[in-house]
Amino acid sequence: MASALRAAILGHVRVPVVVANGSKLLAPLWTHRTTAVRSMSSHDDHLEKNQVIDRILDIVKSFPKVDPSKVTPEVHFQKDLGLDSLDNVEIIMAIEEEFKLEIPDKEADKIDSCALAIEYVYNHPMAS
Amino acid sequence: MGALRAQKLSGIQKQVLSLYRGFLRAARSKTPENRVHIESLVSAEFRKNSQSIDRKNFLHIEYLLRRGKRQLDQLKTVDSVRLSSSNLELSDTKTQ
Repeated sequence: MASALRAAILGHVRVPVVVANGSKLLAPLWTHRTTAVRSMSSHDDHLEKNQVIDRILDIVKSFPKVDPSKVTPEVHFQKDLGLDSLDNVEIIMAIEEEFKLEIPDKEADKIDSCALAIEYVYNHPMAS
Repeated sequence: MGALRAQKLSGIQKQVLSLYRGFLRAARSKTPENRVHIESLVSAEFRKNSQSIDRKNFLHIEYLLRRGKRQLDQLKTVDSVRLSSSNLELSDTKTQ
Protein backbone atom coordinates (compact mmCIF):
# COMPACT_ATOMS: atom_id res chain seq x y z
CA MET A 1 0.00 0.00 0.00
CA ALA A 2 2.92 2.32 0.86
CA SER A 3 4.62 1.50 -2.41
CA ALA A 4 1.44 2.14 -4.30
CA LEU A 5 1.20 5.51 -2.61
CA ARG A 6 4.87 6.24 -3.40
CA ALA A 7 4.40 5.34 -7.03
CA ALA A 8 1.34 7.52 -7.17
CA ILE A 9 3.18 10.46 -5.64
CA LEU A 10 6.28 9.98 -7.80
CA GLY A 11 4.11 9.67 -10.85
CA HIS A 12 2.35 12.85 -9.89
CA VAL A 13 5.57 14.72 -9.09
CA ARG A 14 7.35 13.62 -12.23
CA VAL A 15 4.74 15.10 -14.49
CA PRO A 16 5.71 18.76 -14.21
CA VAL A 17 9.45 17.94 -14.44
CA VAL A 18 8.96 16.04 -17.66
CA VAL A 19 6.89 18.85 -19.04
CA ALA A 20 9.53 21.36 -18.03
CA ASN A 21 12.36 19.37 -19.59
CA GLY A 22 10.27 18.90 -22.67
CA SER A 23 9.89 22.65 -23.04
CA LYS A 24 13.61 23.12 -22.10
CA LEU A 25 12.85 26.23 -20.17
CA LEU A 26 13.08 25.33 -16.50
CA ALA A 27 16.49 23.58 -16.55
CA PRO A 28 18.73 26.55 -17.44
CA LEU A 29 16.72 28.83 -15.18
CA TRP A 30 17.22 26.52 -12.25
CA THR A 31 21.03 26.19 -12.59
CA HIS A 32 21.31 29.91 -12.94
CA ARG A 33 19.47 30.39 -9.68
CA THR A 34 21.64 27.99 -7.66
CA THR A 35 24.94 29.52 -8.82
CA ALA A 36 23.65 32.96 -7.90
CA VAL A 37 22.90 31.80 -4.37
CA ARG A 38 26.30 30.14 -4.02
CA SER A 39 28.23 33.19 -5.10
CA MET A 40 26.40 35.24 -2.51
CA SER A 41 27.20 32.88 0.36
CA SER A 42 30.91 32.60 -0.45
CA HIS A 43 31.24 36.38 -0.55
CA ASP A 44 31.41 37.21 3.14
CA ASP A 45 35.15 37.01 3.65
CA HIS A 46 35.31 39.43 6.58
CA LEU A 47 38.73 40.83 7.36
CA GLU A 48 40.54 39.62 10.43
CA LYS A 49 41.43 42.31 12.91
CA ASN A 50 45.12 41.35 12.95
CA GLN A 51 45.22 41.71 9.19
CA VAL A 52 43.66 45.16 9.37
CA ILE A 53 46.14 46.25 12.06
CA ASP A 54 49.17 44.95 10.13
CA ARG A 55 48.15 46.54 6.85
CA ILE A 56 47.39 49.92 8.45
CA LEU A 57 50.66 49.92 10.40
CA ASP A 58 52.53 49.12 7.18
CA ILE A 59 50.92 52.08 5.43
CA VAL A 60 51.78 54.47 8.26
CA LYS A 61 55.34 53.13 8.57
CA SER A 62 55.97 53.58 4.87
CA PHE A 63 54.90 57.21 4.99
CA PRO A 64 58.04 59.25 4.17
CA LYS A 65 57.94 61.57 7.18
CA VAL A 66 57.26 58.86 9.73
CA ASP A 67 59.85 57.17 11.92
CA PRO A 68 58.73 53.51 11.60
CA SER A 69 59.98 52.62 15.09
CA LYS A 70 57.40 54.98 16.61
CA VAL A 71 54.41 53.37 14.91
CA THR A 72 52.11 51.34 17.17
CA PRO A 73 48.42 50.46 16.86
CA GLU A 74 47.61 53.32 19.28
CA VAL A 75 49.83 56.01 17.80
CA HIS A 76 48.32 59.47 17.18
CA PHE A 77 49.31 60.84 13.77
CA GLN A 78 49.80 64.45 14.80
CA LYS A 79 50.67 64.30 18.52
CA ASP A 80 53.00 61.30 18.36
CA LEU A 81 54.32 61.31 14.80
CA GLY A 82 54.49 65.06 14.28
CA LEU A 83 52.37 64.99 11.14
CA ASP A 84 50.13 67.88 10.02
CA SER A 85 46.56 67.82 8.77
CA LEU A 86 47.66 67.53 5.13
CA ASP A 87 49.74 64.45 6.00
CA ASN A 88 46.68 63.12 7.78
CA VAL A 89 44.66 63.41 4.57
CA GLU A 90 47.38 61.58 2.63
CA ILE A 91 47.47 58.70 5.13
CA ILE A 92 43.68 58.30 5.09
CA MET A 93 43.71 58.34 1.28
CA ALA A 94 46.38 55.62 1.28
CA ILE A 95 44.21 53.55 3.65
CA GLU A 96 41.23 54.05 1.34
CA GLU A 97 43.20 52.65 -1.56
CA GLU A 98 44.64 49.75 0.38
CA PHE A 99 41.19 48.57 1.53
CA LYS A 100 39.31 49.71 -1.59
CA LEU A 101 37.08 52.08 0.34
CA GLU A 102 35.86 55.59 -0.07
CA ILE A 103 35.82 57.34 3.29
CA PRO A 104 33.55 60.41 3.31
CA ASP A 105 35.02 63.75 4.40
CA LYS A 106 33.08 63.81 7.65
CA GLU A 107 34.54 60.49 8.76
CA ALA A 108 38.00 61.13 7.33
CA ASP A 109 38.38 64.35 9.35
CA LYS A 110 37.80 62.40 12.56
CA ILE A 111 40.39 59.69 11.93
CA ASP A 112 43.55 61.09 13.52
CA SER A 113 45.18 57.98 14.99
CA CYS A 114 46.00 54.40 14.09
CA ALA A 115 43.45 53.19 16.64
CA LEU A 116 40.59 55.09 14.97
CA ALA A 117 41.72 54.05 11.50
CA ILE A 118 41.79 50.39 12.56
CA GLU A 119 38.32 50.65 14.13
CA TYR A 120 36.89 52.34 11.08
CA VAL A 121 38.28 49.85 8.56
CA TYR A 122 37.53 46.81 10.70
CA ASN A 123 33.88 47.85 11.09
CA HIS A 124 33.45 48.78 7.44
CA PRO A 125 31.45 46.10 5.62
CA MET A 126 33.07 46.79 2.24
CA ALA A 127 36.72 46.70 3.38
CA SER A 128 38.74 44.12 1.44
CA MET B 1 52.81 73.38 15.74
CA GLY B 2 50.30 71.24 13.91
CA ALA B 3 50.15 69.03 16.96
CA LEU B 4 48.79 71.74 19.23
CA ARG B 5 45.76 72.45 17.11
CA ALA B 6 45.25 68.92 15.95
CA GLN B 7 41.94 68.22 17.62
CA LYS B 8 39.49 70.78 16.30
CA LEU B 9 39.43 71.78 12.68
CA SER B 10 37.77 75.04 11.76
CA GLY B 11 35.19 75.12 8.98
CA ILE B 12 37.60 76.69 6.56
CA GLN B 13 40.33 74.16 7.41
CA LYS B 14 37.86 71.38 6.65
CA GLN B 15 37.14 72.96 3.30
CA VAL B 16 40.83 73.15 2.48
CA LEU B 17 41.38 69.51 3.47
CA SER B 18 38.33 68.49 1.46
CA LEU B 19 39.73 70.25 -1.60
CA TYR B 20 43.09 68.55 -1.07
CA ARG B 21 41.31 65.22 -0.87
CA GLY B 22 39.43 66.06 -4.06
CA PHE B 23 42.67 66.70 -5.92
CA LEU B 24 44.24 63.46 -4.68
CA ARG B 25 41.09 61.56 -5.73
CA ALA B 26 41.12 63.12 -9.17
CA ALA B 27 44.80 62.24 -9.54
CA ARG B 28 44.00 58.57 -8.99
CA SER B 29 42.15 58.40 -12.29
CA LYS B 30 45.20 59.54 -14.26
CA THR B 31 48.06 57.42 -15.56
CA PRO B 32 50.59 56.44 -12.86
CA GLU B 33 53.17 58.84 -14.22
CA ASN B 34 50.76 61.76 -14.35
CA ARG B 35 49.38 60.86 -11.01
CA VAL B 36 52.76 61.20 -9.33
CA HIS B 37 53.31 64.47 -11.14
CA ILE B 38 49.92 65.92 -10.16
CA GLU B 39 50.27 64.73 -6.57
CA SER B 40 53.65 66.37 -6.12
CA LEU B 41 52.48 69.66 -7.66
CA VAL B 42 49.28 69.74 -5.60
CA SER B 43 51.05 68.75 -2.40
CA ALA B 44 53.74 71.40 -2.89
CA GLU B 45 51.10 74.05 -3.58
CA PHE B 46 49.03 73.25 -0.48
CA ARG B 47 52.09 73.07 1.75
CA LYS B 48 53.53 76.28 0.46
CA ASN B 49 50.23 78.09 1.06
CA SER B 50 49.82 76.55 4.50
CA GLN B 51 53.16 78.08 5.48
CA SER B 52 52.95 81.43 3.75
CA ILE B 53 49.33 82.44 4.34
CA ASP B 54 48.15 83.62 7.72
CA ARG B 55 45.47 81.36 9.19
CA LYS B 56 43.21 84.34 9.78
CA ASN B 57 43.45 85.68 6.25
CA PHE B 58 40.04 84.28 5.39
CA LEU B 59 39.55 86.49 2.38
CA HIS B 60 42.65 85.15 0.70
CA ILE B 61 42.02 81.55 1.74
CA GLU B 62 38.47 81.73 0.43
CA TYR B 63 39.74 83.13 -2.83
CA LEU B 64 42.22 80.24 -3.13
CA LEU B 65 39.49 77.75 -2.27
CA ARG B 66 37.28 79.03 -5.07
CA ARG B 67 40.15 79.00 -7.51
CA GLY B 68 41.19 75.53 -6.41
CA LYS B 69 37.67 74.19 -6.89
CA ARG B 70 37.59 75.54 -10.42
CA GLN B 71 40.95 73.96 -11.18
CA LEU B 72 39.82 70.68 -9.69
CA ASP B 73 36.72 70.68 -11.92
CA GLN B 74 38.95 71.27 -14.89
CA LEU B 75 41.32 68.52 -13.87
CA LYS B 76 38.41 66.09 -13.56
CA THR B 77 37.09 66.77 -17.04
CA VAL B 78 40.39 66.97 -18.85
CA ASP B 79 41.65 63.73 -20.38
CA SER B 80 44.77 65.00 -21.97
CA VAL B 81 48.07 64.65 -20.16
CA ARG B 82 49.41 68.01 -21.17
CA LEU B 83 46.33 69.97 -20.24
CA SER B 84 46.03 68.46 -16.79
CA SER B 85 49.57 69.36 -15.82
CA SER B 86 49.55 72.81 -17.42
CA ASN B 87 46.39 73.51 -15.47
CA LEU B 88 48.29 72.94 -12.25
CA GLU B 89 51.43 74.69 -13.39
CA LEU B 90 49.24 77.69 -14.05
CA SER B 91 48.20 77.68 -10.40
CA ASP B 92 51.84 77.56 -9.35
CA THR B 93 52.81 80.64 -11.29
CA LYS B 94 49.76 82.58 -10.15
CA THR B 95 50.57 82.34 -6.50
CA GLN B 96 54.21 83.27 -6.77
